[in-house]
Amino acid sequence: MRDIRLYIILTLMVCSSCTHRFDGVQDNTPVGNMECLWQTLDQKYCFFEEKEVDWQTVYDQYLPSVKQLSSKDYLGLFDTLASMVNVLNDGHVNLYSDFDMSRCQQWYEGYPDNWDWDVLKERYLKDYRIAGGAYYNTLANGKVGYIYVPDFEHVISANNMAYILRSFIDCKGLIVDVRNNGGGDMSYAYQLAATFFKDDKTVGYWQHKNGTGHEDFSSLEAQTLRKSDMPSSWLRPVIVLCNRHTYSAANFFVSIMRKADTKVILMGGKSGGGGGMPLSYELPNGWIIRFSSVRMYDVNKQSIEPGIDPDIEVTDNPQTAVDEIIEKAVLTIQQIPQQ
Amino acid sequence: MKGRLFIVGLCLGLLIPSFVMAENVEHENILKVHFGGSWRQDQYLTPLLYKGMMVGLGNEWWQPFKQDTKLGQAGKLTNWEHVGQLNLKFDWTYNPTRSNVIYGLHLDAGWGALYRWKFDQQRVQIILGPYLDVNTSVKYMVRNVNKPVSVDAFVGVEAMAGVSYAFKGKKTSYRLRYLIRADVIGVDFMPDYWQSYYEISEKVSGKIRCAGMWNHCLLRHELTLDMQFPHSTWRVGIEHEYNEYGQKNMMFSTEQVSAIIGTCFHYKLNPKKDFTIF
Repeated sequence: MRDIRLYIILTLMVCSSCTHRFDGVQDNTPVGNMECLWQTLDQKYCFFEEKEVDWQTVYDQYLPSVKQLSSKDYLGLFDTLASMVNVLNDGHVNLYSDFDMSRCQQWYEGYPDNWDWDVLKERYLKDYRIAGGAYYNTLANGKVGYIYVPDFEHVISANNMAYILRSFIDCKGLIVDVRNNGGGDMSYAYQLAATFFKDDKTVGYWQHKNGTGHEDFSSLEAQTLRKSDMPSSWLRPVIVLCNRHTYSAANFFVSIMRKADTKVILMGGKSGGGGGMPLSYELPNGWIIRFSSVRMYDVNKQSIEPGIDPDIEVTDNPQTAVDEIIEKAVLTIQQIPQQ
Repeated sequence: MKGRLFIVGLCLGLLIPSFVMAENVEHENILKVHFGGSWRQDQYLTPLLYKGMMVGLGNEWWQPFKQDTKLGQAGKLTNWEHVGQLNLKFDWTYNPTRSNVIYGLHLDAGWGALYRWKFDQQRVQIILGPYLDVNTSVKYMVRNVNKPVSVDAFVGVEAMAGVSYAFKGKKTSYRLRYLIRADVIGVDFMPDYWQSYYEISEKVSGKIRCAGMWNHCLLRHELTLDMQFPHSTWRVGIEHEYNEYGQKNMMFSTEQVSAIIGTCFHYKLNPKKDFTIF
């Protein structure tokens, strides 16, 4: 009997030792959630200096209004915190709750749409085929290949690409349309870009945070595109179409294409940027904040966060029944002298 | 198909020590299940303390070193003993608002060589020795906008100590044993400080570091009671495991408290009747 008592006492001792919370974890109150959000971004967000945001001033500005919120006013808290993070003007910064997702719109407001899906579908994608994540077709009586990549959420495999390029065998050039492509998986962007390279090549640099200070970053780490990811090659002229909604992985794709082993022309409008790879983190109330945590640079070590300017700027007129950017691209390919 | 192969492989993996070691080698083998509570903090994914449940399956064998190394022969036993363990545990934990779940899969395998000091006609034994441990876990966070899988591992040498007391009841023999293990030195593998998931999937350099008692707290202790009935031996017990490590302000911890139920198999070249007869 004495042994059983001893056993129970030892069991209780073990159970009572369970995990302590790590230091610095805020309470689930409006102020606690705001402080957790502010501190998470303060320590881990990667573009304060580049965007010239005084994050301490933002804290001082929003704290009084958060203090006035009751713990039951979840909508008020969400809207206030969403407004606070939108100061960063970053499409990779979102606040997620069970009832809403905040999204910043400033980064594309004021830019032309340069995009009309109805026109594209009716005029340029008639009888199109879909291979993996790519819609493809030929234009100009089969003389120009056209690939539309709506996102990088779906893989375009080596086999997909081999069949696509086979269908373009009589084409003089190729249009790769990544307008309104909001990004996705970087590896898919690398894989598609490898079609236009002959060999492995350094195509950019990354730099991740290694401390809590706003400028605590690792050294630049070279990123290599591997030709073995996409054995098929296209070495005739390529025009890449982009607009302000060409974002994140698609923006990086545009940056990579500048170093391709074939003639590449960027056409359309300035891309959206999104040169910070995201991470996400939780707040005490279970909401999730997504934010840019890793800086991406092009091969010239220039940040691609603000977006990439096109070589030939063309603006689409939404009043017409044609896509001026595609029309210009087709014309340009036809005018490129054959090598 | 892959799932079935995995399950069959796992079962065989757990059973191999039982059968291989039974081949004319004196030993004691325990198959056991764990079930209990789990607490998790993972500042790579969340600042919050997650709480939930765990289940596990394990195998443990003990085998004395002999002076005569010829297999199948009853050599003279020494005071040294092998111990080997293989544990597979699965846990699911929730954040305080229960809006998110982290699933964890842990594999812990190890081997130790322990010295025994025997007292009170061998009823009381104290054991101490080094233990080589391989401890890995994979975590998956359900509600996360990134690819939310994170992996960490520890490979190192631990110190293992314990005390056991054998006593006899009316019809049953008992052995009460307390065992504790703590890390001494080894190697940690963990996500680097705020790298993105892209970087983690690309390469592993920069995420391996030397670990030891100064930066990695790994503690396991268990209290078990083995009950030897006429035809079978059963184990009940409780195990507590605490694992804390990290870098800068990115810390990880897992704590599990589990009840143990197991069955013991004995194989002896010179069979003794119970724990209490030496």
